[in-house]
Amino acid sequence: MSLLAQYFVTGIATGSFLILATIGFSLTRQVEGFLNIAHAELLGVSAFMTWGLNVLAGWPLLPSATVAIAVTSVFGLVIARTVYDPIKKLGPAVLLITSVGVAYVIGGGVDAVIGTGIRTLDIPLATTYKFYGIRVTNYQLLVIALAALTGVSLALFLNKTNTGLAIRAVAANAELAASRGVDVRKTSRATWLISSGLAGLAGVMLAMIATLSTDIAFHQILKILAVAILAGLGSLYSVILSGLIVGIAMDVSVYWIPAGYRPLIAFAIVIIVLLFRPQGLSGRRAA
Amino acid sequence: MNVEAFLVAVLTFGCLFSVLTLSLNLQYARGGMINFGTVAYFAVGAYAYAIVTQEPPSGLDQYLIGLNGPWWLGFLVAGVGAACFAILTGWPTLRLRGEYLALTTFAFAEVLHSFLLNERRIGNGSVGLANVERPGISWADVPDSYVFAVAALLLMLVTIAVYRRILASPYGRAMDAVRDDEMAAEAVGKDVARMRFEVFVISAVPIGFAGALYAMITTLVSPDLFTAEVTFFVWIALVLGGERTMLGAILGTIALVVFQEVVRGIPFETVRSAQIAASVEHMLTGAIFVIILRWQVFERISFARSQAE
Amino acid sequence: MNSEFLIVDGVTKRFGGLQALGGDGGLSFTVPRGTFLGLIGPNGAGKSTTFNVISGVTKPDTGAVYLDGQNLSETRTPEIAAHGLGRTFQTPRAFPSLSILENVIVGADSAGERLGAVLSGRWRRDEPKLKEKAAAVLNRVGLGSRMTGSVASLSGGELRMLEVARQLVRDPKILLLDEPTAGVDPSLQGKLSEILARLHEDGTTLIVVEHNLHFLLRIADTVVVLQNGELLAQGSPQAIRSDEKVVAAYLGNDHAA
Repeated sequence: MSLLAQYFVTGIATGSFLILATIGFSLTRQVEGFLNIAHAELLGVSAFMTWGLNVLAGWPLLPSATVAIAVTSVFGLVIARTVYDPIKKLGPAVLLITSVGVAYVIGGGVDAVIGTGIRTLDIPLATTYKFYGIRVTNYQLLVIALAALTGVSLALFLNKTNTGLAIRAVAANAELAASRGVDVRKTSRATWLISSGLAGLAGVMLAMIATLSTDIAFHQILKILAVAILAGLGSLYSVILSGLIVGIAMDVSVYWIPAGYRPLIAFAIVIIVLLFRPQGLSGRRAA
Repeated sequence: MNVEAFLVAVLTFGCLFSVLTLSLNLQYARGGMINFGTVAYFAVGAYAYAIVTQEPPSGLDQYLIGLNGPWWLGFLVAGVGAACFAILTGWPTLRLRGEYLALTTFAFAEVLHSFLLNERRIGNGSVGLANVERPGISWADVPDSYVFAVAALLLMLVTIAVYRRILASPYGRAMDAVRDDEMAAEAVGKDVARMRFEVFVISAVPIGFAGALYAMITTLVSPDLFTAEVTFFVWIALVLGGERTMLGAILGTIALVVFQEVVRGIPFETVRSAQIAASVEHMLTGAIFVIILRWQVFERISFARSQAE
Repeated sequence: MNSEFLIVDGVTKRFGGLQALGGDGGLSFTVPRGTFLGLIGPNGAGKSTTFNVISGVTKPDTGAVYLDGQNLSETRTPEIAAHGLGRTFQTPRAFPSLSILENVIVGADSAGERLGAVLSGRWRRDEPKLKEKAAAVLNRVGLGSRMTGSVASLSGGELRMLEVARQLVRDPKILLLDEPTAGVDPSLQGKLSEILARLHEDGTTLIVVEHNLHFLLRIADTVVVLQNGELLAQGSPQAIRSDEKVVAAYLGNDHAA
C-alpha cells in the first residue's frame, strides 16, 4: 500500500511537470488557434541551453536558467512572427503541419550541436525527504511548487491585467474581441512570449529532474498532447487538473502493469476521453 | 552502388510509398483530414500479412498466432485489417474537428507501436518477425526484386484508378466543397463527419496493402520499422510534391526516396560526422518542408503559370 | 400543424466575457410559416449570432430553437439543412476549387454523394437533371452567362447571388439571408427582390438581415429589431417605422442618412 502511495506522490511531481509543459501549449492553441507541435522542442532548447551555460560555461544554475528561459521565450516569438503569422490565413491544419517541420528543424539543430549521449546539470544531488515512509526529493518539491505558483500567477494575470483579459477575449472569439477594440497583434505577442517562456521553464525543470538526451523533447510532445486533449483544447484551468490526472495515472499504473506500458497510459487516457467526453474536462464543446 | 539496383530500389520504394502519399493526398488535400498516424495502418497491413502467412510458433518464438495461410489471403487481410483499424481510430473522432483526428491518429499510432514493442505475443516484441514469407511466384529468370518493383507499380496504379473514380464523381465534388469551406458545405446539407469518415476508411485500405507488400520485400516486420518517422516521411513527400495533384504526390515521394538513398550511400569517416550528417539531413528536410509551406512555393508557381497564360 | 414554424426560445450566448445574445430572460421570438421576416439592428446587435444559432453553427448557452417542432439546438448542422433550412453568410462563402456551375450543383443532394453509388458508377444518370436545374437557377440570379467561369472572377455582390442560387437549388422551406444586398449592384438587387417576392408567394419562410432598410421595409411583412442581443421590438414595417424606441435607438440616424 505504501508503494502505491509512493507512486501517487511521484505522480504528483510528474503531473506538475506536465502542467508546466502543457500550459503554454494550451495557451497558444487558444489564442492562435492551432496545435504547435514544435512547442515540445522549445523545452529541449531551454533544457540544453541551461545545460550549456551551467556545465560548459560554468555558470550557476539560476542565471543559466533565467537566460535560457528568456532566450526560449524570444525564440518562440521570433518563430511565430517569421513562420506562423504570415500563413495564419491558411488555417490551423497548415499551421499544425508547418509546426512539425519547425520541430524537425529545431530538433535536428539541437541534435547536430549537442550530439548523442546522456547529460546532467552540474547541481547538487537530490536530497530525499521522508514523510510517513514516502520519499520525495527536493527537486520534485520544487517542480510541484513552481507548477502551483505558475498556475496561480497565470490565473491572476488572465483575470486581473488588461493583457490577460485581452488574451481571454481573443481566445474566446477573436473577431468579436477585435471589433470591441482589443489589440489582437499585441495580444498575440504577449501570448507567444508567455507560452514560450513557460516551455522554457518546463525545459529547465526537465533538465533538473531528468537526464538529458536529444530525443527527450519528442517524447514530451506525446504527453503534452495527452494532457491538452484531456483538458479540452479550449481550456486553461482544466490543464492543471488533467496534468495531475495524467501524471498520477502514468506513475500509479506501474503498480499493476509493466513499466514498458507507462507512456501508453497517457494515450489510453486520450482515447477514452475522445470516446466518452470529446470536449475534454473543460466541458466546452468543440465547435 | 550498382546503378541498376539503385533504380529498382527507387522504383519499388517510390511506388510503394507513393501509395501512402496518394492516400494522404486524398485524406488531406481533398478530404481536409490530417492523419498523423499513417504509419499505423501501414504497420497493421505488414503485421497482418506476416501473422496470416507465417508458420505456427516454435522454438524461441514468443508470438501466439501463425496461420500458415497463402500469400493472397495475407494480402487481403492486410487491407481489411487496415480498414478496421481506420474504423476504430476514425470513429471516436467522427463528430469532431479535423485537428482531433490528427491527435487521435497520432495517439493510436503510438499506442500500436507500444503494443507491438511490449506485447510479445503479437509479433515477438522488439525482435519482430523475421523470414516473412514471400509469394512463390517466379517468372523464369526474372529476379524477385523486379517482380516486387512491378507489384509496387501495379498497386500504385490501381490505387490511382480507384481514387480518380471517387474524385470524378459528385462525391468528389462534395469533398472539395467540404475541404474549401466546411461551414458552407454543412449549410447545404453535406454531412462533413460522415464523408470524412468514409474517405478515411477507404484510403486506409491501399496503405494496408502497401504494408503487406513492404513485409514481403523486407521479409521482416519489427516495431523499429514503423515509427512516427514513416508518417513524417510521407507528409514531407506530400508537401514536397505539392499537395494539389496525384502526380505531385508521386514525384514528391520519388524525390524523397532518391534523396534518402543517396544520403545513405555516402561513406563517413567517423561516427560523429555521420551523426552530424544525419542531424543535418533531418534539419534540411524540415527546412524544405517549412519553406514550402511558409512561402507557399507551389501556389506561387501555379499563380505565375496562370499569369503567363 | 403549428403555425409558429420557427420558435426562438430564451436563447443566450456568451463569447468569453462578452454577452452576444440575450439579456436576463434570453432572446425569444416566433416566426409563423410563410412569413417574410426582416431582422434589423445596429452593428453588434447579435443579428449574425442569431442566424448562427438558428442554423446550428453556434449552439446556444441556454434556451433552444425549434423548427417545425424539432429542437434545432440538439440537431447537427447538416441535418438542419436536410430539414429544409437554408442560409447564406454575412461574408459570402464560395467553394473556390469548383466552377460557378458546380458551386450551385453541389447545393443539391445528389445520389452520387453515397460512396456505394460512386464505386458502382450509378450516379451518372441523375447528373444531367441536376445540371439543368442548377443552370436554370443561375439564370434566375443573373449569372447564367458565367457558368463555366471560376468563382474568383465574381464580384462580392455576384458571390452573394451565387450563394443564394446554391440554396435555391435545394428548394428550402425556410431561407435565412445575411445582408443579401451588401455590395450587390442595383440591377442584381432588383432581381433579388423579385426572387424573394416569388419565394414568399410560394410559401417559403424568409428571414433576412439587412442594413439596407429601404430595401427591407418595402418587401418584408414582419420586422424584428435587435439591440445588444435583446429584442427591442417586433411588428409590421409600419409599426416599426413609428415605434419610438426603435426610432430613438436605431432608425433615427439611418433615416437621416
